[in-house]
Amino acid sequence: MKEKIKTVNTTTNIEEDVIKSLDATPSESLAKDAFLRLIANKGAVVGLIIITLLIFIALFGPYITPHDFLSQNLEMRNQGLSWEHPFGTDDLGRDVLSRVIYGARTAVILSISITVISFIIGTAVGAIGAYVGGKIDAFIVWLIDLTMSIPSLLLVVVINASLKPPLMRWMETQYLETKNTIFRETIWVDFVLVFGSLALIKWPKAARIIRGQILSIRNKNYVTAARAAGVSTFGILTRYIIPNAMGPVIVLFSAILGEAMVLESAFSFLGVGVRPPMPSWGNMISDGLRVWHLHPHILAAPAGVLAVVTMAFSFLGDGLNDAFNPRQWD
Amino acid sequence: MWKYIINRLLRWIPTVLAVLLIVYAMAFFGAGDPIKLIFLRAPGDVAYNPERIEAMRESAGLNRPFIVQFGDYVLHLLRGDFGNSLTSGRSVGSIIANAFPITLQLGLAATALLAVLGTALGVIAALHHNRWLDNVISAFALGVWGVPVFVSGPLLMMLFVKGLNIMDVPYGWHGLFDSMVILPLLVLAITPMALIIRQARAAVLEVMSEDFIRTARSKGIPSLSIVIRHIMRPVLTPVVSQLGLIVINMLNNAVLIETVFGIPGLGQLAVTAITSSDYPVILALVFIGSTVVLTVNLLVDIVFPLLDPRALSKKEIKEA
Repeated sequence: MKEKIKTVNTTTNIEEDVIKSLDATPSESLAKDAFLRLIANKGAVVGLIIITLLIFIALFGPYITPHDFLSQNLEMRNQGLSWEHPFGTDDLGRDVLSRVIYGARTAVILSISITVISFIIGTAVGAIGAYVGGKIDAFIVWLIDLTMSIPSLLLVVVINASLKPPLMRWMETQYLETKNTIFRETIWVDFVLVFGSLALIKWPKAARIIRGQILSIRNKNYVTAARAAGVSTFGILTRYIIPNAMGPVIVLFSAILGEAMVLESAFSFLGVGVRPPMPSWGNMISDGLRVWHLHPHILAAPAGVLAVVTMAFSFLGDGLNDAFNPRQWD
Repeated sequence: MWKYIINRLLRWIPTVLAVLLIVYAMAFFGAGDPIKLIFLRAPGDVAYNPERIEAMRESAGLNRPFIVQFGDYVLHLLRGDFGNSLTSGRSVGSIIANAFPITLQLGLAATALLAVLGTALGVIAALHHNRWLDNVISAFALGVWGVPVFVSGPLLMMLFVKGLNIMDVPYGWHGLFDSMVILPLLVLAITPMALIIRQARAAVLEVMSEDFIRTARSKGIPSLSIVIRHIMRPVLTPVVSQLGLIVINMLNNAVLIETVFGIPGLGQLAVTAITSSDYPVILALVFIGSTVVLTVNLLVDIVFPLLDPRALSKKEIKEA
């Protein structure tokens, strides 16, 4: 008899403990929880700071550049590091630091546009696949696998090369019709082509993960329960699916942002993306490679900055992944 | 098993055809036909004679409908004929035959290097789980994975040539056993190596917690032979499964690496073809690149179940 009472007592004790511990951590939201895990990760915090700084520099670029990024000074060619020119000057006497800052602007503007466009396409296609299912879904999955198996750099180049002539023709006819000089700015053609073709490369990745998220969450018991309780499709979407998919989507967003930045500079490095005189880290590295043996700073500045930024993205991405998917090791 | 292999093979063919169709259509509708491109490139208006161009298009069969031309292109491909380059007029097949072995040697050597080094580092990291060596290796893998080769290549080159002064400027191709190949090889191997390090580390950590390792330890078998006997096999499986990703990574990086180090392989060929809009060459390169990737994926799908019989049943369940 005594024993029985004891056991009953212990179970209630355990229950009380559980209730107490629940009270002690008043239902912290998933986002707050993830944020706490993120800032506990030193690498991720450093990455986050560097990327925030980068976006800040990109936004306020014109106000913080010490010199004009285009003005040439042939008497000051290939100068080394000095207080006047902290990163030196390039082979046309342009200030390297100002060009790196404008390169950051190019990189941030392009990679954010690429990421947003590929997310829009990816979400639409992924959601259609997950909800319609059947043959359409199978086709979408096949298309995603297909695009991901073409070496992306080559595919981007083909898309770029084949979109360019029609776009140029269209710009020319628009110019002849409207006489608006905006249609003569080839720089916009470059920009549109770069983010157009890169978004076409990156959407399958977004589509695959978003489709997977929708499929896995939709079949969870709490969603079935909510549906049984009569919650509307919209309610299920906003209250259950979107909040639960948020973590992987944020991880994905940071990953695609980093990859887009690398692809943009790779593309400009090969001479098909952003063209000089518009500075991009990619075309600056390509310029720097021509003279690096004599004037290493022209190559070192953009390459060093890009190396730091890409590493920051890696560490932030890893931290975000650990923060949002704590159980998953990858 | 045979049914599975045949199933995979049957899927491989339409996928390769679809890639070809997409790329061909882009070149066809976007760029226009090759004869016009050749003439638009010719200096002055002398060569720009609409009637002659029309006649040449007629004789080359370029005014036929798209699908007929595409079919023709595929039939020629089956005979190994990629057409002629627009800039040099040489056959694309022979141009590629010159460049391909260089990229292939570089790629195979880099794959061997990264497989050996990557697995070793991954195993070392896992055996020192959560100690400083593990942290260093993990951070290295994480940092290196993001940095593109056209950044790490030049930076390492500056470090080795100017900073440490231990090598000459690596430029050009002097065979696989020349010292100039060291840096391009290292740079090419280092990015995908990160992938292998993480995979191998995760695999070892998983295996280490299994019962048969504990049994082996309790029997007093030294840990090195435990690693070699019991751990290597489960580690190789994830490494093999990453092969498709590694190959695609190498093909992309070859384009950049060969530009940095002036190596006359497929990558540099691609860059020159792109800058001069040499479509037959670009088309052939995209075709070869994606065929290689798709074939590696096919081989991985076939070999994987042999390494890990559990994978086949899992896959079949998923597909059913």
